[in-house]
Amino acid sequence: MIPILAQARFPAPEFENYTLPQLQLETLVRDPIVWRVSALLLFLVVTGLCFYRWRSAKAMRLLALAGVVIFGFLFTACPCPVGMFQNLIAAFVHEHPLGFGFLLLFAIPLATALLFGRLFCAGACPLGAVQELLHWKSIQIPLPVDRALRLIPIALFLLIAVTVVAGMALPLCSLDPYLPLFLWSCSIPTIAMLVLGLFVSRPFCRYLCPYGVLLRLFALVSWKNPAITLKTCITCRLCEQGCPNGAILPPQDAPTPEEQALGVRRLTRLIAALPLALCLGGSFGWFAAPMVSAHHPAVRLLEDLEAHRTNDAVEAFETSGTPLAQLQNEVAQVRHVFDWGLPLAGVLLAGVVMAELIAENRRRKESRAYTIDPSLCFCCGRCYAACPLNRKHEENKGTAS
Amino acid sequence: MISTREFLRCLLGGALLAPFLWLVGKRKSRQPAFLWQIDPDKCIQCGKCETACVLGRSAVKCVHQYAACGYCLFCSGYYQDKRVKFDTAAENLRCPTDAIKRKYIEDPYFEYTIDEEACIGCGRCVKGCAAFGNGSLFLQIRQGICKHCNQCRIAEICPSHAIVRVPADTPYLFKRPPEVKT
Repeated sequence: MIPILAQARFPAPEFENYTLPQLQLETLVRDPIVWRVSALLLFLVVTGLCFYRWRSAKAMRLLALAGVVIFGFLFTACPCPVGMFQNLIAAFVHEHPLGFGFLLLFAIPLATALLFGRLFCAGACPLGAVQELLHWKSIQIPLPVDRALRLIPIALFLLIAVTVVAGMALPLCSLDPYLPLFLWSCSIPTIAMLVLGLFVSRPFCRYLCPYGVLLRLFALVSWKNPAITLKTCITCRLCEQGCPNGAILPPQDAPTPEEQALGVRRLTRLIAALPLALCLGGSFGWFAAPMVSAHHPAVRLLEDLEAHRTNDAVEAFETSGTPLAQLQNEVAQVRHVFDWGLPLAGVLLAGVVMAELIAENRRRKESRAYTIDPSLCFCCGRCYAACPLNRKHEENKGTAS
Repeated sequence: MISTREFLRCLLGGALLAPFLWLVGKRKSRQPAFLWQIDPDKCIQCGKCETACVLGRSAVKCVHQYAACGYCLFCSGYYQDKRVKFDTAAENLRCPTDAIKRKYIEDPYFEYTIDEEACIGCGRCVKGCAAFGNGSLFLQIRQGICKHCNQCRIAEICPSHAIVRVPADTPYLFKRPPEVKT
């Protein structure tokens, strides 16, 4: 292997009539981050108006189309707010460059979620918008299955966080199945997710998106919640059937004494099982740690070196002249991060599972109406269209004018 | 009296503000905008750049630094190692897409230029030029084609960690100082 260095084996000839051609290398960088951030802000304001003021499902669909065009194609879909939490973690732990623009991309959708719910998911997120547009017929996923699958993003979020801390390349960016679409190419996961998305509403948003975990958390305590209808709910259940994302909570009657007793018993059992669940989660993480850390490039390189296998990475390492001790040191650090991080992530995940189970069994506030769960609502406006009261409202308006 | 919801809302809002404060705190060390680039000194021409890029046709192209070129008659970046003849038949040429064009200048010198439309960034010519020539050919990410992804897919799998971030004002990494403009 010959080191690749410019070397004058053959001196440049002296020509009589020849001038060296100049290198034409473009230095232009497209769309600075400022435009991206301002477009996002503007778009969120319009989304908020459409959702809260005009309350129109059609407008929300149009916004999804606009979102695909603007944030998918006009600005290339990457970098997008969905992956920014990785940059933030990497900037905290490693010396990863992080500008204010990137931080704003991360924070604006979350701040919106804190105030008005997940408006970002409706159209400003190119991934969400593409799924919204390419959704044909909804297959309702049974609620327990849906809630169980919604744990995947939480696990993914924790796993990605630990991987980023361990110094691997930002993993979510290559997991994004819709990115090739915006670059006019295609891949097998893209097609699979698009076909799935035709029948299952927003499969990525609901069952994979790690940023959705944060949005869900922030929207849980949002300041303003959408109401399905501004009139008194007649509990016709049409909105619940119309919602493809399982984000509508049915009316809640006051519990009967038997129900209450059952609930209390379940709750005690759950709380008693909490330490066991946490231990289980932690040990799961502990067992998973060696398997996950084996995928780290440095760990793999060291294994290949020790087994005297030859591949590109080994060749590159041997040419670079890096001392083996340095690599061993790095690998030890990586293993350390995974050995501590994954059990911690497992404990957290178990905690979340138990918290969700407890939340299912806790006494809910009585309500006589169908309400939107803001933490799960993607603000598509389908329930507005499904509600017969809203339709009548529009008809009345039409005859009046 | 503040409700639990309000308390949690304030808590999360504060958590959202914290990174900004942290960034303001270490503002002096904040780096300018960063671009992806190949460090030609680390590159081993494994050929992964050709296929790993998110773009259908990679943003990596071969760049010819004319000032370092020897203008050889028998260019090892141009010809295969196992060539039959020194002619322009495809079996004798190294480039799989015939992206290297050669032009006669004066005896015995030829000028080699890269046809950027045809170049796929496979790095075969770079390997040949480095092995037997001056190493004037090398791979670079063309900033006009690059989509500036948050995480470069090539960097993720590059076996020699040759893909680095460079400041936006020096978007290319040359092996030697760039040519003096005439």
